[in-house]
Amino acid sequence: MDIDRILQSINDLPAFPATVQKVSELMSDDEYAMTDLVNAVEYDQAITANVLKMCNSAYFGLPRKISSLRQALTYLGRRNIIRIVSTVRISEYYRDVEGYRLKAEKLWEHSVGVALMSRILSEKIYGREESWLFTTGLLHDIGKNVLGEFVNESFQKVMSLVSDENHSFLEAEQTVLGINHAEIGGRIASLWHFPQEMIDTITHHHRPDLMEGGDNTGAYLIYLADQVCMMMGIGGGGADDLAYRGLKGAMEKFKIHHRELETSMILLSDEIEKAKELIDLV
Amino acid sequence: MGQIVIGVSDVKISSKSEDVLITYALGSCIAVIVYDPLAQVGGLLHFMLADSSIDKKKALQKPAMFADTGVPLLFKSCYKLGAEKKHMKVKLAGGASLMDDANFFRIGQKNIMAMRKILWRNNVIVAGEDTGENYNRTVELRMSDGRVTVRSGRGAVKEL
Repeated sequence: MDIDRILQSINDLPAFPATVQKVSELMSDDEYAMTDLVNAVEYDQAITANVLKMCNSAYFGLPRKISSLRQALTYLGRRNIIRIVSTVRISEYYRDVEGYRLKAEKLWEHSVGVALMSRILSEKIYGREESWLFTTGLLHDIGKNVLGEFVNESFQKVMSLVSDENHSFLEAEQTVLGINHAEIGGRIASLWHFPQEMIDTITHHHRPDLMEGGDNTGAYLIYLADQVCMMMGIGGGGADDLAYRGLKGAMEKFKIHHRELETSMILLSDEIEKAKELIDLV
Repeated sequence: MGQIVIGVSDVKISSKSEDVLITYALGSCIAVIVYDPLAQVGGLLHFMLADSSIDKKKALQKPAMFADTGVPLLFKSCYKLGAEKKHMKVKLAGGASLMDDANFFRIGQKNIMAMRKILWRNNVIVAGEDTGENYNRTVELRMSDGRVTVRSGRGAVKEL
């Protein structure tokens, strides 16, 4: 059975490295000690190199060139530290996803786009940033890294449902393979012990309207960010691009109008240019 | 030269027969492709939104972001290299939408309408078009003979 093989390949994924959890724990304590933070990060050499690279990226806009880890962590601020550490770690799980006819670097670029857009929308809608949404944006399509291989094996079947039977790509995955990439993403997030709201959001990022129980606000927001990135072709080119359902309730949910969505698209183009170092991680 | 890549909100012109102008993964954005076979001048515009009045400052910095500022820029840049309007063939690709997007996210449709209106007002006839639907497109203009090919994300290739 496909479904058993698919679930097995989720279990075969490596555990999510401890650095991110460690950093998040430290950061949640208001009086965290800088030394503890430096120790937690320093231990992880790949992260240290990338933290330095990203600090000097235009996206974080630090006024001077950063050359040591302690200096970096001092200047970055709590939110950016968590963001950088999780970004670097998550990027390591990206693979070419043949079933979607997409390279790892494109899928990653799309994920960064959704993370940046979720920040823009969250600031527009709530007047503040919800930092868990950024990480959720990076992870929303993580399931494709597992499902890609299986979609590839049944590509013709999946594609004919999409092209001839008016299935969305998600529905075609479900029909042919018995599970879809969003649900797999949720299972991966659960395996990695991410908070429940992130798991639910990833699981329902294409159909926030079908979410039962819990708060669907995050799922709607990631949904909107994802659709906008697909329309703008950010990290685009895949076989499934745009073959997803437009939900009428999404813009009404946030009382957001077309004009605001278009302004957000312009903001996102600027952010994408500034975030080159993030995108180049993969 | 060889391959010239046009990003989102960008425009490039060429008069070299060995060049190929290419733009990747158009979603709701539209590529406007022009080619004058006599002058052997061609150009490709990849615009994102229909109307620049939403952000006039941006339109000055990046006129290729919008249809109403990008299209004149595309034509004028070609004229500078010797192209003439009466010989120019104009083709369009992109403007895709999500599935069942009635009244929601109609950016692709809006782009198509705006584009047609601008061309119509300027008495420009569209020689080939592949727009709408719900897949992405990669578009290529071969400068040696003006051939335009559109490849969909699902793998189908067609000539405009």
